[in-house]
Amino acid sequence: MVKRLYNALPGPTGVRIALVVVLVVVALIALAFLFERAGDFIDNGGVIR
Amino acid sequence: MRLIRGFGWTMIWAGGLIFAFLAYQLWGTGLITAKAQREAAQDLDQIFEESVAELEAAGLPVAPEPEAPAFAEPVLYPEPVPSSSSPFARIQIPAANVDHIVFEGVERDDLKKGPGHMPWTPLPGQPGNAVISGHRTTYEAPFYDLDLLEAGDPITVQTATGSHRYTVREILIVEPSDVWVTEDREGAWLTLTTCHPKASARQRLVVVAELVDGPNHAFVYGPSDDVEAG
Repeated sequence: MVKRLYNALPGPTGVRIALVVVLVVVALIALAFLFERAGDFIDNGGVIR
Repeated sequence: MRLIRGFGWTMIWAGGLIFAFLAYQLWGTGLITAKAQREAAQDLDQIFEESVAELEAAGLPVAPEPEAPAFAEPVLYPEPVPSSSSPFARIQIPAANVDHIVFEGVERDDLKKGPGHMPWTPLPGQPGNAVISGHRTTYEAPFYDLDLLEAGDPITVQTATGSHRYTVREILIVEPSDVWVTEDREGAWLTLTTCHPKASARQRLVVVAELVDGPNHAFVYGPSDDVEAG
């Protein structure tokens, strides 16, 4: 699946690799944000307000 | 066949995501807190010294050493207001395995570093109701064992003013919106709040403790009152 996604990217190899790096960074940031928000259901710090 | 394979891959990715999520929450977040606590512990003595210097410069009374003779008239020793998100105190609760540096503020980023003091409540050791919140399951779970506390257990909070000793009076389970537990009180109190039950933010575990010793005890309760007996 990863190979298929890579092949679907436009441009020469250099551009594809750069795109992969950008996509991975964006995905990791989105995942970290999602994990942090989802973590509030487990424990949000116990603040009363 | 294609459908089954697709389902299989979806399950593998979902499993991987859930595993990554739990690993981040239960282990990764603890690394963030451990680093912040380590750095704050190194800076705390200097922060105390700077706070005392700030009080002296403002002409305010600085708490005497414990062995120094007491003033005839009880004096209120104020605490300089810490800047937002900065470490300013150390809380120790032996019965609940708590020994953490406390930060000013209860926003998401403050509580990542350790227990946080609600800025709109008095500082620990001061008259009124000082409120400190902390994580129970993630970010090193400083208040994980808070449910082990019983009435009479000691809590010590060290600030620039000195060491403030509290005794647990009450343990409550309340809703996250029950703000009355954070309201001001007569005397000097410390209220600790955390999530309840463990691994859920559905309710709040609240520990209410009363000041029984420290620089401001005589000022709040009078020199002869034995609060501990009450």
